[in-house]
Amino acid sequence: MNSGLNPADPTIVAAFRSALVHQWVIVALIFVLLLVAWGATRAWAGGHGATAAGSPAPWHEPRARRLLRVGFGILWVFDGILQAQPQMAGGLPQEVIKPAAATSPAWVQHLVNWGGSIWTYHPIQAGAATVWIQVGIGMWLIFAPRGWSSRLAGLASVAWGLVVWAFGEAFGGIFAPGLTVLFGAPGAVLIYAVAGALIALPERAWESPRTGRLTLAGTGVFLLGMALLQAWPGRGFWQGTAHGQASGLADMVQSMAATSQPRVLASLVSAFGNFIAAHGFAVNLVAVIALAAIGAAFCVSALRGDARLARIAVLVAAVFCLADWVLIEDLGFFGGVGTDPNSMIPLILLFTAGYLAMSPAPQPEPAAAATAEDAGPATDAQPDAPAKPPSRLPAWLTTAGLRFAGLSGWSIAALGAIGVIVVGAAPMAFASANRNADPIIAQALAGASGPMNEPAPGFTLTSQDGHQVSLSSLRGKVVLLTFLDPVCTTDCPIIAQELRAADAMLGAKAGSTELVAVVANPTYTSTAFTAAFTRQEGLSQVPNWLYLTGPLSQLVPVWHQYGIEVQNLPAGAMSAHNDLAFVISATGRLRQEISDDPGPGTAATQSSFAGLLANSVLQVMG
Amino acid sequence: MAGRSRAARRRAWAAAAAAVGGCVVAGCASARAPAPAPAPSAATAPLATSLAQAGGRAWAIVAMGGSAADDNSFWEVFTRPLGSTQWALVTPPGVADNGGLVAALPPAAQGLDVAVRPSQDLTFSPLALTGNGGKTWDTGLVDASVAAVPDALALGGGRMLVLLGDGAIDQAATSGAGIPGEGVSGAAPPSASAAAWTRLAAPGAIAGSAAGRDCHVTAVTAVSLTAAGTPLVGASCARPGIAGIFAPAGSGWRAAGPALTGRLAGEPVRVLRLTAGGGAGTTALLQAGTGDGDRGPTSLLAAWTADGMHWTVSPPLPVNGAQVLSSGAGPGATAAWVLLAGGRAATIAGPGAPGTPGAPGATGTAWRSLPAPPHGTAVLAPGPGGALDALAVSGGSALTVFRLTPAGAWQQTQVISVPVQLGSSS
Repeated sequence: MNSGLNPADPTIVAAFRSALVHQWVIVALIFVLLLVAWGATRAWAGGHGATAAGSPAPWHEPRARRLLRVGFGILWVFDGILQAQPQMAGGLPQEVIKPAAATSPAWVQHLVNWGGSIWTYHPIQAGAATVWIQVGIGMWLIFAPRGWSSRLAGLASVAWGLVVWAFGEAFGGIFAPGLTVLFGAPGAVLIYAVAGALIALPERAWESPRTGRLTLAGTGVFLLGMALLQAWPGRGFWQGTAHGQASGLADMVQSMAATSQPRVLASLVSAFGNFIAAHGFAVNLVAVIALAAIGAAFCVSALRGDARLARIAVLVAAVFCLADWVLIEDLGFFGGVGTDPNSMIPLILLFTAGYLAMSPAPQPEPAAAATAEDAGPATDAQPDAPAKPPSRLPAWLTTAGLRFAGLSGWSIAALGAIGVIVVGAAPMAFASANRNADPIIAQALAGASGPMNEPAPGFTLTSQDGHQVSLSSLRGKVVLLTFLDPVCTTDCPIIAQELRAADAMLGAKAGSTELVAVVANPTYTSTAFTAAFTRQEGLSQVPNWLYLTGPLSQLVPVWHQYGIEVQNLPAGAMSAHNDLAFVISATGRLRQEISDDPGPGTAATQSSFAGLLANSVLQVMG
Repeated sequence: MAGRSRAARRRAWAAAAAAVGGCVVAGCASARAPAPAPAPSAATAPLATSLAQAGGRAWAIVAMGGSAADDNSFWEVFTRPLGSTQWALVTPPGVADNGGLVAALPPAAQGLDVAVRPSQDLTFSPLALTGNGGKTWDTGLVDASVAAVPDALALGGGRMLVLLGDGAIDQAATSGAGIPGEGVSGAAPPSASAAAWTRLAAPGAIAGSAAGRDCHVTAVTAVSLTAAGTPLVGASCARPGIAGIFAPAGSGWRAAGPALTGRLAGEPVRVLRLTAGGGAGTTALLQAGTGDGDRGPTSLLAAWTADGMHWTVSPPLPVNGAQVLSSGAGPGATAAWVLLAGGRAATIAGPGAPGTPGAPGATGTAWRSLPAPPHGTAVLAPGPGGALDALAVSGGSALTVFRLTPAGAWQQTQVISVPVQLGSSS
């Protein structure tokens, strides 16, 4: 899954910022267009005598549901903004996703790698998509207070939450050792999904205390289970140190304190980490008792319907969670690649909503038919019996226009939020269907290619099958020239595979291209080695592949003319040479010089370099 | 109403029990996993070795640098010319040797043929061939991975044998310094086409032969050539009491190893080394005992033959489970030496030994335990004037040469700083 990129690579950061700015413009356009269309249709509807119909039965959204909807809406928006941090595009897979799965079973790592490969192959699209999808879901939750739109927003929160939980949090680490709720188990975004499911419930589900009691009881059972895990012997939480080093929770806290953050907070968290190291047993005892007591209180209050007990338990739990959020989770979002404020804030919202839902407020009596303005922002006004449509418009369009005109401002904003999600999801969907990695990765590793326009120095060398080949004999084809060591153990086989993949990407145009490599090793120059390398890399069946060599007296001038430095290193090391590729036009002119140092040689970088090379050839072809 | 309340409480308790049970399972699952069992010991000899030519030039092959897992282990070739007291670094250039080096002595007095085992993305084995003590090297090619055993290459009788990683054995005609199909050093390198190499034994051919089935061959471990150019193949046998050494017989293979008697008849035997002495005979190093698990090998034996039919077998050297760290043999039927885990070393003079190789007083075919070698000793090698040298690696890049004095002490004589190129292969 590692793309091999430096997370702070300026090329990637600049491209990421550029993508976000472009998509921001599109988002703004969407809202402007929606507002313009809404205003126009309202004016048109008014001009045709149609008035907003009587509003549906008013519905006071329960406090609990509003808390979940607005609270998690704000969290999603905040998380989306966090995803816009500069290092996210290049750094999320290896800085966040891979470590999250590192201690999980192989099947989890395999699944996470499969999903993460979409990100490593298309870091810009994936990074930008995550920003807008999460911002869009958050806005949708906030702007759609009721009806099918609000419930769909809840389902979107469930769906995206589960995607992030599986591929971004490796299922919250529940399959890995060391799971503890104090550090975010079973995954903050799973709580987002639970909240989304509650928001997606039918309105009548909020009219009885049952939903609240079930929510509170479920949270209580969860906390009881977490208390049991926290108390489980042999999991490293009862001691603060092991072999003189901070271990268990102390080790986790110290690692959080080491991330980039305000010094005051780092000092506070580090001090608490030292405290845990010195008093690990006592700290864990307090945590176990607190979790168990709160969990039991939630369960009892839910079973009995005891709002007073629930209130006390919620207050105590909120204090406990806030303390954990600051001292252990370290607010969750520092370090440059923090994706969310971790689990304690969502947990507070969830059990508070459960408590509030235990005592639902009664719904008002249905009022007489009122205008859309009287119904306020929380309703979708139904159109009146449609006015007589203009003679030129089809009936269905007129009806649709009237319905659109009758929407409230909040509904228009919710539509805009859906548009924001599409702005993020659509490019990502197209990118993930492309099996070739984004060439931006190769550009970040190799640097910008240098355009040229000068005669390519000629040479005559021997091919892998013993034929004499001159550069001039390849006129009429675009030549992709590079220099490879036939007994190299690392870079050159990778570059050969990139050339092979580039040839495949060229499709029919490969027939107008020649892939030419020249030996870059002063010792192993025989055609035996070029032939063996060709077989090793599966290039024997590539008709436009040439691996040229000759005696040193012929090779050295070619190296010199193309700026290739080749030397043997001592003591069992391979020959050293710089990695350059050249694109020579069909008329024999040097047109591009590309650094083809493969870097880490991951699947993503190889695919990206192949794309870069193929694009370079196509550019010269014109 | 009360019934509904009781049903609701039952459902709630059932859900709570299920959740708690899930947490119990998660807690059990998330307990730290036990450490994996250690890998079984290798059935073959390590690649570190020394070779000595009849003319007196000695060669040593030693791993230096850092971790092999990080591709930072680099194999170095050292040589000490006849009459010189100093060793010199002569590792063949031009190819990364993180995968190890396998060497054989050609007939040329100053020659050495080295196969570079492939590593990482390289799949074939370049050859490096010298006829002048490592001053210059020519190149050759084995278009496959050479086996990871110190005697995977053999020269003699006008041919070269190579044992491949898949158990096949290929052969090629040689001339001059030992370049298959070509002339002396400096001529054009050999072609890798089928004309240069022919197959002597397919994978499984030894094990599938009547003699191989008789001894229950589990792996081919070495190749050698007698002075007359007869191929000898060493193997591990599961059936006790049989030294798995084979020679061609018509289209098949016949047993050609020494007979083992006494307690050895009841133990499985592995052929660790089968070293051709530059055309002067073959030395075999045999390991008796399983070598698996906690028991380890029980004893080592040396055996010598000039014609591949008649053997002289040494008494067993008890090793009490100690693994062989490195081993080597002298030219012809002279000394063999072993370096064992636990700081032990032993040498033995073969039936043709002119004198005592390094261990004063040692005669005939009796093992002689040596004083504990210096810390970090990788190989033992013949020193000047019949002395014995210990080549020790320290810090990954320094080779210290210790010479065994007649008084039985290891005396430092030389330090070579090796410019190991850490990180160059990654």
